[in-house]
Amino acid sequence: MSDHRSAGTALTVDNVTKTFRIHHERASSLKQYIAAGGRNRYEEFVALRNVSFSVDQGEAVGIIGHNGSGKSTLLKCMAKIYTPNEGRIDVHKKMAALLELGAGFHHELSGRDNVFLNASILGMGRKEIAARFDEIVEFSGLGDFIDSPVKTYSSGMYVRLAFAVAINVDPELLLIDEILAVGDVAFQKKCMEKFVDFRTQGRTLVLVTHDPYTVREFCDRAIWLDHGVVRRDGDPADVVDEYTETMLGAETTDGAESSRRGDGRIKVTRTELLVGGVPVDRFRNGDDVTIRLHWEAEQPVAKPVFSVTIASLAGATLTAPSTRDVDMVPDSLVGSGHVDVRFDAIPLVASQYVLHTEITGWGRQHVYDHVQNAQTFDVIAGDTKEIYGLVTLHPTWSGFDE
Amino acid sequence: MSLRSAVAHRNLLYLLTLKELRTRYRGSILGWAWSLLNPISQMIIFSIIFLKVFGGVPPRGSASGVENFPLYFLSGLLPFQFFAISVGASIGSVQGGASLIKKVAFPHEHLVLSIVFTQFVTVCIELLVLSVTFLIFGSFMFQWLIPMAALLILIAIFTTGVSLALSAANVFFHDINYLWGIVAQLLFYASPIIFVIGQVPSPFVNKWAAWTPTGAFVTASHEILYDNVFPSLARWGYIAVCGIVAFAFGAWIFNRLSPRFAEEI
Repeated sequence: MSDHRSAGTALTVDNVTKTFRIHHERASSLKQYIAAGGRNRYEEFVALRNVSFSVDQGEAVGIIGHNGSGKSTLLKCMAKIYTPNEGRIDVHKKMAALLELGAGFHHELSGRDNVFLNASILGMGRKEIAARFDEIVEFSGLGDFIDSPVKTYSSGMYVRLAFAVAINVDPELLLIDEILAVGDVAFQKKCMEKFVDFRTQGRTLVLVTHDPYTVREFCDRAIWLDHGVVRRDGDPADVVDEYTETMLGAETTDGAESSRRGDGRIKVTRTELLVGGVPVDRFRNGDDVTIRLHWEAEQPVAKPVFSVTIASLAGATLTAPSTRDVDMVPDSLVGSGHVDVRFDAIPLVASQYVLHTEITGWGRQHVYDHVQNAQTFDVIAGDTKEIYGLVTLHPTWSGFDE
Repeated sequence: MSLRSAVAHRNLLYLLTLKELRTRYRGSILGWAWSLLNPISQMIIFSIIFLKVFGGVPPRGSASGVENFPLYFLSGLLPFQFFAISVGASIGSVQGGASLIKKVAFPHEHLVLSIVFTQFVTVCIELLVLSVTFLIFGSFMFQWLIPMAALLILIAIFTTGVSLALSAANVFFHDINYLWGIVAQLLFYASPIIFVIGQVPSPFVNKWAAWTPTGAFVTASHEILYDNVFPSLARWGYIAVCGIVAFAFGAWIFNRLSPRFAEEI
């Protein structure tokens, strides 16, 4: 690709606007289309409005924003997956975009074949892949499993191989979508080292995330996207602070009267719902759901016990597990981090629920932080069609035998 | 996507084709044998219908002197099936690549091209088997495979054009798939595969059968393989023009629609 601009620019986003069509009664067949008289009624939704910025060679830029702020759309435009309606995006360096690990993995084929296929999807030539093949296998730690079909892999193996391919594409400019935390701790460490290498080699990183901490830790510039418009662009510490303040403000005024008590020596700063590692604000009955509590403590706090309560809107407690139930109580915590609780095949029926969080001392008497109505969330119909009650007990009906 | 990016991703096209071939036949010799089962079973069924039920007379190959309905049937069926199966498999290929299209930027046409290439390899193998059969049951010389290869390349160009257009349209209208099933049936019976031009009393049907695009493919294939006659220049020219027009149209519509695939799928 020719580079007429200053050699220091890796990416230019110039006045980009992207709109989507939201269809009402979309004719998805030729039959319906003809029956509707050749018209499709739709509304335009503006996902990005006049977004402009440029990224210099060697910069690590974090793009933050709430759900629906347009940050994923922007990433897809930069990755050339979406075409902007107006404006242009110029990529001046060899780019690789990691929106999903293992996109295009074919389950019947061996790991080896998938490495070649996946790397060529990411734009590598055959010789290039062959030269890096051993490095990729080494990085993935798969060993002899590389010749087994991918369908026999555990999800950890799958992710490790996918990441190994992606990171070895060797781009000058890497676009990433929330995928820093993959695999086990040892593998995460390896990934971090690779990222640090990547940075010290003067390559460019654009990271899209909803997590302000990642931006603060990794980036030397932050761009805050709000309703499709660049709201702030600058030093990550400043931008992130303003972002989190606004977000917290928005949460408390958001109708759900969230309230807090406790001495605040350790606090739950934010809660998240994750399905398959992806943050959601609603999920299906039967999904494997993880509730993530982000905590912060300025001074060391001894033996904190975390708990979550899922309750109906009417106030009935459905479940309230704590880390003490499973003897997972650290001797002391300080700084910040997060703790996860996973519910496999969640049995809640379709309705709205609220989440309360609590951090107490070991005796459960002293309250460090209790957040009433930390979050409300929707469950939509999934495995069960039941609509009454609050949970499904997976009933089996019989009778009417012929 | 531009031609340049398609060329830059040629390795992807090669690997996608290899993937299609491998997953189809799972690397087994028997798998390849299975691929021959379909044309052979059709040959048996239609030979019984033509020869026994309707008492048809197999045509006499004008230069080869062969009189064998199963061979006549297969030499028309193979190029037709190459076209019909490629298009049928291509139609859903863009929709089927949704997870990829939404997550990675790559030349979308490779999803379609890899299917046409896969079917091209398949028809070449079928053709070799058919040539051996011709050797056993009649006269045949392998030099006829040269014009046959040229014919198949022209058919492949036509097939690619139709496949590109319909696979792109199928993203917006999901019933293209079903409509194609009907159109393919219609083209099958409108081409001289299970009947012989000249044996039909209506001159209109004879004309139509020889000069629809698929009819022209089938007729040219009969001339080369069964009659051992070089098709007329008019026929070559007509087939080439059909190929170029279909390809230009298909590529145009595909390129126009493909920027919207990621958001519409």
